[in-house]
Order: sequence, then structure tokens, then C-alpha cells
Amino acid sequence: MQSIRVTVQLENDKYTLRQVFKIVSKENLGSYSCSFGDEAKADFLLAGPQIGEVRDKPIVSYVGDSVVVKCKMDEKKPKPASWNWYKANGTDKEQIFYAAEPQKYEIKNHEWVTKLVVHKLTEGDSGFYYCEGVYAVSTTMGHVELKVITFLEPLKPFIAIIVEVIVLVAAILIYEKSQSKKNSAGGNETNADQTNTPTPGDNNGPEESSSTRQRKV
Amino acid sequence: MPPAAETKLGYTPPDGGWGWAVVLGAFISIGFSYAFPKSLTVYFKEIQAYFSVSYSEIAWVSSVMLATMYAAGPVSSILVNRYGSRPVVMVGGLMVSSGMVLASFGTSIIHLYLCVGVIGGLGLAFNLQPSLAIVGTYFHVKRPLANGLAMTGSPVVLFTLAPLNQFLFDCFGWRGSFLILGAIVLNCCVAGALMRPVKKSVKPQPKTETPPAASEEDGARSSDFQIEENQTESRCQGCAHRFIDFSLFKHRGFLIYLIGNVVMFFGLFAPVVFLAPYARHQGIDEYSSAFLLSIFALVDMFVRPLTGLLGNTKWIRPRIQYFFSFAVFFNGVCHLLCPLAQGYVGLVLYTVVFGMAFGMLCALLFEVLMDLIGAQHFSSAVGLVTIIECGPVLLGPPISGALVDAFGDYKYMFYACGVILSACGIFFFVMHFYNYKKLDEERKQSLAAERRTSEEAVKLKMSPDDKAAYEAEG
Repeated sequence: MQSIRVTVQLENDKYTLRQVFKIVSKENLGSYSCSFGDEAKADFLLAGPQIGEVRDKPIVSYVGDSVVVKCKMDEKKPKPASWNWYKANGTDKEQIFYAAEPQKYEIKNHEWVTKLVVHKLTEGDSGFYYCEGVYAVSTTMGHVELKVITFLEPLKPFIAIIVEVIVLVAAILIYEKSQSKKNSAGGNETNADQTNTPTPGDNNGPEESSSTRQRKV
Repeated sequence: MPPAAETKLGYTPPDGGWGWAVVLGAFISIGFSYAFPKSLTVYFKEIQAYFSVSYSEIAWVSSVMLATMYAAGPVSSILVNRYGSRPVVMVGGLMVSSGMVLASFGTSIIHLYLCVGVIGGLGLAFNLQPSLAIVGTYFHVKRPLANGLAMTGSPVVLFTLAPLNQFLFDCFGWRGSFLILGAIVLNCCVAGALMRPVKKSVKPQPKTETPPAASEEDGARSSDFQIEENQTESRCQGCAHRFIDFSLFKHRGFLIYLIGNVVMFFGLFAPVVFLAPYARHQGIDEYSSAFLLSIFALVDMFVRPLTGLLGNTKWIRPRIQYFFSFAVFFNGVCHLLCPLAQGYVGLVLYTVVFGMAFGMLCALLFEVLMDLIGAQHFSSAVGLVTIIECGPVLLGPPISGALVDAFGDYKYMFYACGVILSACGIFFFVMHFYNYKKLDEERKQSLAAERRTSEEAVKLKMSPDDKAAYEAEG
């Protein structure tokens, strides 16, 4: 820990300490603090910008499909000079790749956003991907998890729900058929009554009721 | 409640029994129709990145779906008039399902517009109109309550689909989610299976065999029908076999409803769309802003059945149009007062009141149309209404968005919506006051006319007997 001792004069009832530091490289970043004897202390943390928006939940994609993994820096902070992408391999071994395999990977950088496009996914492509924003004095890293699954995964709930629908529809229609069979079996006489009662009504009062009925209907 | 209204249908609606199962089916269908396009927005961010398109291009998927759903209204009405509600709803469910399954294999954004937007929208149209129509055939006495319950499907399904969609997306990505949603939406077929055609047992059979004769008789008796033409009459038996009843445009009540609704829809949905962005603009964090929408849906889903219950009471039912006018006006006032809301608590209060107002309006939206038109013509009426409403529904939010962008402030958008809705509320109130007066006059005239014709008929009946007696004597 480096230490600088400065003598300060009293100005307007205040002791003011102003120090200028040149931040040239990563070593210049870190924790700074100033103290006035035992009476006052202030701590400062100098760090490079941190990655803003990264998806915390895994991105899910399918075998044979392609996927876009995105890292975004907060637009209020300065643009990174360049971006790097790493794939986690094993515990903490990381591999750097550029356009070494152009068919497989595509890196698109645009100001605050970097996108990694992975084509022809296989299950081995699952895992953590690290995006690194590079500044003159610091780098910052974010990580996104990719999960590659086959189409069989969503197919299972899909088929389960289809079966449920078919069962329910069949049950409702069968219930209705059995209800109507009961009605027709026990209600044949009542049906005959229903068809008979309007007709005598029609015959008896065509003159008086038909004109009024025409009005109502 | 005028007792004569029941005989106008030609049969007595069950008002219960299997009707409640039909309400459940309508609940599911209406729920999916309204909530499904809104709930898909969860996937837009990833699909946008996947296809490398702008946000407005991906938002078009929802808009195309909504537009097709409204524009296909008349097609739906024609099919319901010919085949009844059940087959149309089941076909609709199959269509949305296949649209979503096809979309899950999509390779371009156009593919999504066609599968989700057009095919899905068409399927939803085949769910919405028939569900509304069939509730009217099963209920008369308890119809406002049944309608209120059926319309509650929209907030309930939205409330369930939103977190479900998020969960599916986290597990399966957008493709797998579309596939599973295709299966979930197939439950509309279950809803359709519940929509058993109502037994019109009181109506004698010959009516359905004489459509050409009925239309001729209609022409001959048109003068007799002048008096009742504007009332809720099932005045021709062959109506069920015609395609769309364009004579609705001469119906006074229908015109009031149509004009009022077209203007109203410009300002109705925009505040819902901009609620969360407005909250974020006020400095509230993303999760609390999204929570406002959940509060809105929760209030909405309790207010709708309550409104249905209220609308059924003997004080409100005869003058239910005034209740609807009040609901529209209430919405307007709510938006005019919104800019006064300060901080998160103020916004929560606004959301609760807005949820109440919106729920009241939606619960009554189709009930008042049924009240004006009657269940027989409702199918055609709702088809015509939705295709004409298509314009304001689609244009409303973008115009409001333009207002927000132009002034850089949300309050002018709220004022505009508030003014539109309040004006519509007053319009409805005044026009229905006039309409109720006219209807009462016409009812009195027709009762007097009936009394006259029955007296004449008695005289006519007397004369042949007199003649026979005369000839017998002579």
C-alpha cells in the first residue's frame, strides 16, 4: 500500500486536500483513501465500467438451430474499445475464439452491444459463455449460460396436453350422447305431446291467433 | 323487465342448467381470444434478437393477430348463423393450435406474421363471436350475470398466461414455448365441446323449413312491422339461414352502439398499453411497474362478475344502457384525474380505479348489444361491430404513442383518452334516453294496435258463422 503525506493549510475554516492521480494502467485502479489524522477519512474505489445488461437465466435453444448471445454495456458508460468472447471449457479453463471457425461462430460488435451468433448447435455447445469488454485501463467480464436441448423436451408436455384435450372432449361428447339417449328413451311420449299441442292450437285459432302471432314473431 | 321479451325469441331459454357449462366454455374461449395476443409479448425480445429485426416489426405479430381477430368477425358470424357455435369454436381452436405449432418451426419473421398473426387471429375470431352469441341463446333472465362471468375469462386467462409464458420461455426458449402454447390453446376445443346447441323445444319444426316463404311474407308484412322494426324482434324465421343481416344498419339502437363504440375504442386501450411505461417514466422500477398491470388484472377479474350481478338486479336491468353509459363516463373521469396521481401510491390508486372502470365497461360491452338487438340477430351484429371496431382498436395505441412522443409527456395522452371516453359516456346517456322514450312510445302503439286487430279478428271470426247461419236460414 502506497502512502503520501501532505500538509494542508487552513482556508476559510476548512482543510481541503486535492490530489491528482494519473490512471495509466490496470495497476492504477483500486481503492484510494485519504485521512485527516484520526478525525476524518474518505474511501474511493476506482474501477472500470461493469457490464450492464446480461441475462441471468440460461438461454435455451435447440440442436441444429442457431442462437444469439448478447452482452450489453450501459450506454451511460464509455464504449469498450473491443470485445472478446470466451467459452468455458471444464472448470475454469477458458478458450478464446475469433473467426477461427466462421461457419460456426459470428461476432457482431456495435458500440455498446456485442452479439455472438452460434450456428448449427449441438448439445456440446451448452455451457457458460463469457463476454469481455476491453478498455485501455481495464477489462470487464459478463457471463451468459446457454442450454441446448432437443425437440423432444417440449414435445413431452405438448403430447401430454393434447391427450388431456382429447380425453376431455371425448368425455363431454359421450356424456351428452348418453344424456340425449336417456331423454329420447324416457321422453318419447312427451315429444309426441309437444308436437301435438301446437297443431291443435294452429287449427283452432288461425284467424284470431295467427294475426297476433305474426305480429309477435 | 318486459315479460313480452321472452316470447320474441320463440322459445324459453334455460337460464341455468347446462347454461353454466356453456358459460364456462365461453369463459375459456373469450379468455384466450383477448389474452393470447397480449401475452405473446414476453417472447418478443428474444425473437427480435433471433431474426435481427426492430421492435416495431416484431410488435406487428400481435397487431396482425388482433386485426385479423376483429376483421374476421363477419366471417365468424356467417359460419355461426349457418352451423351454430360449437363447430366454429372447435375449428377455431384447431386453427390457433396449428398456427402456433407451425410458427414454432418458423424461419423468418414473415412466417410468424402468417402463422401466428393470420391463422392464429382467424382461429381466435372463430372463438370470440360464437362464444358471445351462444351465451345469449342460453340465458335471458340471468343474461347480464352470464355475460359478466363469461367476459371475466379475459383477465383471468391473462393473469395465468403471463407468468406461464415466462416460465415456458425460461425452460424451452421461444420455439418450444410456441409448440406447448399450441397445445394449451387447443383447450378451446374443449370449450367448444361444452357449447351444446340449445334445445329450442317450444318452437315448432315447420319454421325452419320455410325460409323462402318467410322472406316473401316479410316483404308483404313490412308495413305491419314498421312499428316493431326497431325493437328486439326475431321477426323472420329465415334469419338464421341468411348470411349477414345488413338491415341492422337501420336499427336505431345498433347505430347508437356502433357510433359510440367506434369513437370510444380510440381511447379505451391506450391507457392499458401505456400504464407500465408511464410508471417507469415517473421513476418507478420495472418490477413495480409490471406489478401495476397485475393489480389491474386482479381488480378487473373481480369487478366483471360483480357488474354482471348488478346489471341483473331489477333496478338496473330495464335501464342497463344507462349503467353502460355511466361505466364509459367513469373511465373517462378516471383518466382525466390520472395526471394528479403522485408517486407509486397514487399510481396504485389510479390502477385500482381504472381496473374497476374497465371491468365494468367490458362486462357490459356485449350485454348492452344483446339488450338492444336480441339474441337472434346478435351473431350478425357482433360480426359487423368487430370489423368496424378493427380500425380504432389498431389505431388507438399508436396515435396515443404519437401524442406522447409529440409532447414528451404522458399527461396529454391521458387527457385525450379521458375526454374521448367522457364524451362517449355522455353521448350514450343522451342517445339512450331518447331511444328508451321512443321504445316506450312504440310499445304503447303496438299494444294499442294489437288490441284493435284482435277485436277485428273476433269480428271476422263472427262473420263466416253469421254467413253460414244466414245461408242455412236462406
